[in-house]
Amino acid sequence: MTCWRRLPALLPALFLILAMAGCSSLPGRPGLGPEVQRPSDVMNFGVLYKQNCSGCHGPEGRGGPAFPLADPVYLSIVNDATLRTITAQGVPNSLMPAFARSAGGMLTDQQIDAIVEGMRKNWAKPGILAGVTPPPYSAPLGDPKRGTQVYQTFCQSCHGPGGKGGAKASSIVDGSYLGLVSDQELRTDVICGWPHLGAPDWRSDVPGHPMTAQEIADVVAYLAAQRPKFPGRPYPGQPSRRRK
Amino acid sequence: MKRLQKIFEWLDQRLKIGAAVREAMYHRVPRSSGSWFYVFGSSAFLLLLLQVVTGILLALVYVPSASQAWNSLQVLNHDITLGWYLRAVHGWGSNFMVALVLIHMMQVFLFGAYKYPREFNWVTGVFLLLFTLGMAFTGQVLRFDQDAYWGLGIGASITGRVPLIGAPLVHLLLGGPIIASDTLSRFFDLHVFIIPALLLGLVGIHLLMVLKLGINEWPMPGRLVRRETYLKEYEDLVQRDGVPFVPDAIWKDMVFGAMILGSVLVCAAVFGPFGPRGVPDPTIIQAAPRPDFFFLWIFALLALLPPYMETPLILIGPIVVIALLLLVPFLSGEGEKSWRRRPVSVLTVLVVAVTLGALTRFGQEAPWSPVMNGWSGLPVPAQYLKGRSALQRQGAIVFQEKQCRNCHSLGGEGGKRGPALDSVATRLTPDELIRQVLQGGGNMPAYGHNLSPAEVTALVSFLDTLHPPGVRPARDFAEKGLPLLDTGHPAKH
Ligand code: HEC
Ligand code: HEC
Ligand code: HEC
Repeated sequence: MTCWRRLPALLPALFLILAMAGCSSLPGRPGLGPEVQRPSDVMNFGVLYKQNCSGCHGPEGRGGPAFPLADPVYLSIVNDATLRTITAQGVPNSLMPAFARSAGGMLTDQQIDAIVEGMRKNWAKPGILAGVTPPPYSAPLGDPKRGTQVYQTFCQSCHGPGGKGGAKASSIVDGSYLGLVSDQELRTDVICGWPHLGAPDWRSDVPGHPMTAQEIADVVAYLAAQRPKFPGRPYPGQPSRRRK
Repeated sequence: MKRLQKIFEWLDQRLKIGAAVREAMYHRVPRSSGSWFYVFGSSAFLLLLLQVVTGILLALVYVPSASQAWNSLQVLNHDITLGWYLRAVHGWGSNFMVALVLIHMMQVFLFGAYKYPREFNWVTGVFLLLFTLGMAFTGQVLRFDQDAYWGLGIGASITGRVPLIGAPLVHLLLGGPIIASDTLSRFFDLHVFIIPALLLGLVGIHLLMVLKLGINEWPMPGRLVRRETYLKEYEDLVQRDGVPFVPDAIWKDMVFGAMILGSVLVCAAVFGPFGPRGVPDPTIIQAAPRPDFFFLWIFALLALLPPYMETPLILIGPIVVIALLLLVPFLSGEGEKSWRRRPVSVLTVLVVAVTLGALTRFGQEAPWSPVMNGWSGLPVPAQYLKGRSALQRQGAIVFQEKQCRNCHSLGGEGGKRGPALDSVATRLTPDELIRQVLQGGGNMPAYGHNLSPAEVTALVSFLDTLHPPGVRPARDFAEKGLPLLDTGHPAKH
């Protein structure tokens, strides 16, 4: 008959559990909204950025192999329309993919807007360039010959003679490297630098002596002129098999 | 008290079930069987009752229509007081029930309880297991989320492989050529009418047989079962050393049952209901549907089988397994009961358990399915970018952009279809890296035409940096000055 004496001890425990079920703070209670959102319904910037961009541009917009988008200097130079276009359509002949559905990607236009808005809200620092006239985000290529001079003045100290790499920074004239980046990307690199890698922006290549818009256009033209016709091929003249 | 007894007598004169109930309660069972090992069946039964009660409550709200099923679960989860808890209890009850049925079966097998004269207890038990799994499967379908789609898709593709009648069978199962509203109606029917009716009916028969044939005695090594003598021996044992089922044996069942019930309630409260996960929409390719826990091993098995074995194994396998299970008591209906003297049986149980466990574990990790958004969503680990050149950084971008990351992990994150590449440079020389990337091999696609020469150069210059600090990367024999590393992958030149 032992059972009848033990059972009452168990009952209160059971009731306790049931009573606990009544309170809304139980860990098992599902949160609002479906457990897994329809991917096209995700509008949260953090989630969108993490799932779609962090692989290349790094967690939190810096520290990845591709350009650090969270740079406030960059964000005060580039406008929203450009950010939107690049995100939606990618950059042709580069490794930046298109994300808009209309261009074969997975994101809706609203999601792309949310990403652009989120980058501004989370990473921009309005006023960081107060009192400075920054060079325009984009401009036609300048004169590569003058660019050689500009290179020696502003870049050689780190990237070495001819851009082949120096004590403080690597080669930026490698054929394969140049074959993979767009001219605009080179321009963005020169203007904004890569703060987390110690690459200076246009004002600090030579301290106290910011580059002029013309000098920037020229040095970019100089780098672009180093791009081989068939990048990555040991034997020039052979057509690239690239299909893009 | 007196009055109560009067009422009972009045009822019994008309219903005539008092004798049967009394017989069931006080029938004598071997003292040795009032053991903690004999409680699993009764608590599986208890959970069945729990499932019936919670299931009826859920059916009050659930709408078995393809367009509304998912939404009605949202209503249950969020708009109805404790609706989520009801779902959670039903879901966890189901998991516990499958587990208990399996454990019960294992215990019966190891204790030789299926032997003469209890062969049909075992046979009905096998069907009870099948029906329980059927309930678990159809229940998962009723969630009608991504995972349900998985289950249905697999179920349909298995059925579709049946020779000759495959297509009509799929039609019957899904109520049409595709998964649609009729499909859900069918599974609703199965889950709330057909299988429960069979299950409850069969449970009745199963219990009746337990009562009539008596509970298996504790197996003694060396005490053999013989058809001619067993019944008499059992009768003697019960007379000599038996106890009435109530209360001497039942209290353990009740204590264990209460514990199980408590665990279900606690699990439901702590871990909550299962799903519904994302809406079922085959156009969402990011979806990574997973079956419920007890079907994960099938998921793993299907993924691991080489294609040429799939159809025969899938079609013949289940028939063979079920046939073997059903034949067990007829193949060894007599003889030794104790697991101490039946090493083959013990080994069988162990092998089956380990296999199912390993497959389940595999199913959870699903290393064969690529991480669909690894390329864009998993950052390149910072230590692999420190002090790298512009070209190597581009190589890392190529690695991401070409979706290598979906199959290969870096820093523990990424797909597991291919090997982790954190130290690939110690295994392969740059030439071998180029060959692997361009020509693929194993289960890796050949990238030859999808990579430009610049991309290959950048990629390989990045891959060649992937080695632990201080360990030199692998190099050709031809290259001078570098000691060859013993990597187990000698350069093949
Ligand atoms: C597969 C790697 C990869 C992913 C994923 C990726 N990017 Fe890019 N992104 C690049 C590369 C490489 C460049 C430089 C392209 C060039 O050469 O112009 C770039 C450039 C950009 C630029 C232009 C920078 C400039 O120079 O002005 C923007 C803006 C940008 N990405 C936004 C995004 C956003 C937003 C996402 C996520 C939706 C994203 N990227 C995802 C690789 C990637
Ligand atoms: C103070 C040193 C310094 C100076 C001056 C400097 N750079 Fe850099 N640069 C770096 C560092 C550091 C990096 C990143 C690390 C690396 O690539 O070695 C870098 C990276 C780059 C990159 C590659 C970014 C990528 O895509 O990965 C380019 C392009 C570049 N610099 C161009 C220039 C140009 C053009 C100038 C002159 C106008 C210049 N740099 C001046 C230090 C410098
Ligand atoms: C569909 C999945 C998949 C994709 C995508 C993929 N791989 Fe692989 N990779 C594999 C598998 C599987 C193996 C193992 C091949 C074998 O067993 O021979 C492998 C092997 C390798 C190896 C040899 C590793 C070693 O330790 O021997 C390298 C290097 C490699 N892959 C690089 C890449 C690169 C670079 C990319 C992107 C351009 C890529 N893989 C894309 C599946 C994939």
